[in-house]
Amino acid sequence: MSGLALLEGRALSKVYGLSTVLHPTDVVVVAGEVRGLVGSNGAGKSTLMKILTGAIAPTSGHILINGEIASPGRPLEMLRRGVACIYQHSNLVAEMSVLDNIYIGRQPTRRLGLIQRKLLREQAQALLARHGMDLDLDAHVSTLSTVRQKEVEILKALALDARVLLMDEPTAWLSVADVARLHSTIDGLRARGVGIIYVSHVLDEVFAICDTVTVMRDGSVVADQPIAQLDRARVIELMVGKTLATQALGEANGAARSAPAAGVPRLRCRALSKRGEFHEVSLDVHAGEILCLTGLVGSKRSELVQAIFGANRFDSGTIELEGVPVKFHSPRAAIASGVGFVTEDRHRDGLMLDLSIAENLVAATLGRYRRGLLLAGERIRATALRLITALNIQPPDFMKPVRLLSGGNQQKVLLGKWLDLQPRLLILDEPTVGVDIGAKAEIYGLLRAARDNGMAVLVVSSDLEEVMTIADRIAVMVAGRVVRTRETCETKIVDLVRDMGAVSA
Amino acid sequence: MIRRHGISALPIFFLVTFAFFCAVVPRFATAGNLEALMAGYAFIAIVAMGESFAILLRGVDLSVGAVMALAGMVAFDASLILHLPGYLSVALALVVATFAGVLNGLLIVFLRLQPFIATLATLAAYRGIVFAISGRQLVPGLSTTALDDPWIIGLETYFDVGATLGVESIAVPAIPLSFLLMIVLLVLFEVLLRSTRFGRDFYATGGNPEAARLAGIDLRRTVLIGYALSGFCAGVAALLLVARLTTSTEALGNGMELTAIAAAVIGGVRLNGGMGSMWGPVVGTFLLGVVLMGLTLFGISQFVQQILTGAVLLAAIAHSRWLQSRRLLPSAPEGS
Amino acid sequence: MNMVVRANERWGVASERLGGALPIALVVLAVALAVMQPAFLSVANLIGILRQVALVGIMAAAMTFVIMTGGIDLSVGPVLAVAGLVAVLSLDGGAALPVALLLALLLGLAVGLLNGCLIAFLRLPPIIVTLSMLSIVRGSGLLVGGPDLHGVRGQPAFSFIGTGSVIGLPFSVWLFLGVAAALLFAQRRTPLGLLVAALGDNERAAWLSGHRTRLTTMWLYGLCGLCAALAGVIQASQVHTGSATYGEFGTELDVIAAVVLGGTQLTGGKGSIARTVLGVLFLGTLNNGMNILNVPIDIQLIAKGVIIAAALGLGQLRR
Repeated sequence: MSGLALLEGRALSKVYGLSTVLHPTDVVVVAGEVRGLVGSNGAGKSTLMKILTGAIAPTSGHILINGEIASPGRPLEMLRRGVACIYQHSNLVAEMSVLDNIYIGRQPTRRLGLIQRKLLREQAQALLARHGMDLDLDAHVSTLSTVRQKEVEILKALALDARVLLMDEPTAWLSVADVARLHSTIDGLRARGVGIIYVSHVLDEVFAICDTVTVMRDGSVVADQPIAQLDRARVIELMVGKTLATQALGEANGAARSAPAAGVPRLRCRALSKRGEFHEVSLDVHAGEILCLTGLVGSKRSELVQAIFGANRFDSGTIELEGVPVKFHSPRAAIASGVGFVTEDRHRDGLMLDLSIAENLVAATLGRYRRGLLLAGERIRATALRLITALNIQPPDFMKPVRLLSGGNQQKVLLGKWLDLQPRLLILDEPTVGVDIGAKAEIYGLLRAARDNGMAVLVVSSDLEEVMTIADRIAVMVAGRVVRTRETCETKIVDLVRDMGAVSA
Repeated sequence: MIRRHGISALPIFFLVTFAFFCAVVPRFATAGNLEALMAGYAFIAIVAMGESFAILLRGVDLSVGAVMALAGMVAFDASLILHLPGYLSVALALVVATFAGVLNGLLIVFLRLQPFIATLATLAAYRGIVFAISGRQLVPGLSTTALDDPWIIGLETYFDVGATLGVESIAVPAIPLSFLLMIVLLVLFEVLLRSTRFGRDFYATGGNPEAARLAGIDLRRTVLIGYALSGFCAGVAALLLVARLTTSTEALGNGMELTAIAAAVIGGVRLNGGMGSMWGPVVGTFLLGVVLMGLTLFGISQFVQQILTGAVLLAAIAHSRWLQSRRLLPSAPEGS
Repeated sequence: MNMVVRANERWGVASERLGGALPIALVVLAVALAVMQPAFLSVANLIGILRQVALVGIMAAAMTFVIMTGGIDLSVGPVLAVAGLVAVLSLDGGAALPVALLLALLLGLAVGLLNGCLIAFLRLPPIIVTLSMLSIVRGSGLLVGGPDLHGVRGQPAFSFIGTGSVIGLPFSVWLFLGVAAALLFAQRRTPLGLLVAALGDNERAAWLSGHRTRLTTMWLYGLCGLCAALAGVIQASQVHTGSATYGEFGTELDVIAAVVLGGTQLTGGKGSIARTVLGVLFLGTLNNGMNILNVPIDIQLIAKGVIIAAALGLGQLRR
């Protein structure tokens, strides 16, 4: 059974207009094998996945399922032939039961379309037994935890006799314990001859669960090997290229600030707690310092910093800004006190996509641009031009709707909006997600410059390379608690990984 | 189960309200009043069920009142102008009503209009058509002629249950045919929604359209059928009302959309789609009926009742939101 | 010219086409009508169109902002009616004109603010809230004034509002132009305009950027109610009567149709007062044309429904 090629892509490529997002690529999914698929954003991973699931058709190349050609661009057909995808977002109907979700659209029926309940239940129980999974068939999906919902999605695919499972960032939103549970489910699938592609940006997981790994960069496959032949450093090197790898790995953070900070911290949090989210969190951020708050997804860092900014409530604890106790009831209050917040999801929370670059840039500082009842157009224009130049925003057209910019430029607009505030404390939540390498480097430069000018910077980041590159100090959060705070110059990545693996509360 | 809190509380609330009015209003639960309640609200409950189909699909049907007027006028004209036999008039009216619903569906599916604006536009168009075909305008004498076709009038029948069962001592209310018809439709629709594949597909389409699409469910067909059913229900209700009035007017069904939506919302049909039953709108309708009838018997003017209908709807939706915020009722699906 | 850098003057493809099509459609319509019935172009008729659309125009201008936030106000009809009723009853009761007007306008404002409060702070859905309010306001009006018509006599100042003229143009038209100009100015040149655009585009982002989004939304609904009340006062003045039965269902349709024809998205975001005014003029010209050509009422209703559906559908299809 093992070794059989279930799904093959031959010379798959995708060209949009003049840009090639995927160069001719071969990929193979083998029965009983878990293949990791890694690469930076923009490397071509999601394009490849979409082609394999039939969501889009390739510009050239073809797909073989069990040796037979499959028509491209037909997701329902791929599904029928046994290729299923578990997406990041939930593809279940929350208000329906597990049983209904597994067999959605395909329940066995009698005349008049009446569902054969007994048969359905028997089929489901057989399925559960066959794969050694245990779920309450009658529970409403909305009452299940995220990891169990993922299991329902897996069962849905298995009910379709999926032989190939593509999993896109399956551990997003999962706690450490849940990740372990999911991995054991995957082990079971592997033992039963299912072929799995595991797309993830969390290298530790890839090394834990995968048999082989495919590394992509700039639309091409740069490596395709058994995982045993690689180590972390090599994979990172393959993902970002040699020179950047050295920068990114930054075990010696040459750009760290010269002297440790002193005096009253810009931000002092003591024993911040919110039931169900974070617990007894204490941290300090000094002026002229970049503190990175890192941890696995699910460690509730976003909830914590949102609480500091006034976008979230907390139950107890104190916050002091330069020694003055504050409690912000809304972002408006925080901004008035000189705190800025670059949100995690720039599309959902950060930018007004159909408004122009200039309008977005002044969104947080609108008060400065009033002249009586009116809006001071020339001042806005001047600010916009200044920021566009300073941040190298492309294209430099201040009237352009932000929706039309690339991810990296959008992020720069978002950053520019907050930099214009010249805040005392700037909080950033995952500032370089979905941003290309070039823009990433620019953003790091901007943060360092802000720090050198005396700003206190608090960065939430799950990207350990990033953390090692820009942080002066690092705080590690696990399941809502800060477990360790370190000086970067005294830290290696493995230390951080060990901290994060600390037993969660 | 806490999750079902918002729905299972409803029958209890209904009984409590009923008991309240029995206590406060003298001679509330007489046979005559109960008959009036059943006859007066059965057809509204049918419209509410139809409206629920639209709401379950994350939409709304604002044209139900206009469709009622249309169906009523078609029956009127067919019977009194074209002199068609009753069964044909009835059938024609139902076909027209269903087709009106299908048209709503077509606008939503193919022109991709938002349900709210699509049904608002058809509302105007259908009212216009009603004026255009109005027998009362076309043939002046007809505005005072009563319908007398047995097929139509026969819809307004009462079954003397008491006599059949031989019960003499207490006055048992006679059950109107409309009420029985409502029960039949209720059962049919519930079976459709709960026990057929189409019903499951229906909930999926409303609950998570993207997931439904990826599962191979034909979203277009589902939406079209949903709005067709809404139109059909409006047609049935129109015939029942016309039978009662023995005539049809251009203003038939005015304001019915508000009552139908109110009944559905009170009945636990969620505006985000994907959650609700057919029982809810029916109980919701009769809850409204009990309240309004109680108020009328109490001497409260119908203007106040209009105010209260609006207020009750607000209260129902606020309550539903409150429950959602306390996580007792699930809100819109995450990550969709 | 001091140009504020407004991206929504350069919309995305579909709206631009629809918005761009509207002035042309209006011109084409006017030309066609002029050809079919030369009386269309008479000054009296053209002024008549403006007078006809003044009421809807005032409400549509305010409704534009509400729709831009992704909401809707279905209660404008009864508010119009009850505001007119209140003005008439106050005058009848001996109140001075400014007092009567103030009462009517404040009533509209209050209803609007109540709508806004329920929608913005309690986060209840706008359709249901304003639909309920429609019923509540109508019922309250009927309670106060019954279904009767209440006449007002001997109030020349009041009558002037609806029937007077200033340099040839009816006063009501001046009011319409005034309101439209004020809101247009607000949209293009004041921080409020940018705030409404931001709110409509991404409310959460606007909130996180420090704006008082809920308060602003509430005031926008208040403005809508205020304008409906103004329209009600004008109408009461025009027909010298107030009644709780005015503003029948169909009023909101006209208002919303004008806004939507002007390219404002019902889902919130893009919108323009200027284009709403064009939409108002288009519908007014259409109505006038159909009347001049003696098209029966029922066909008019049907035509209206069809045109709105078609215009919107066209806009959607180009997406």
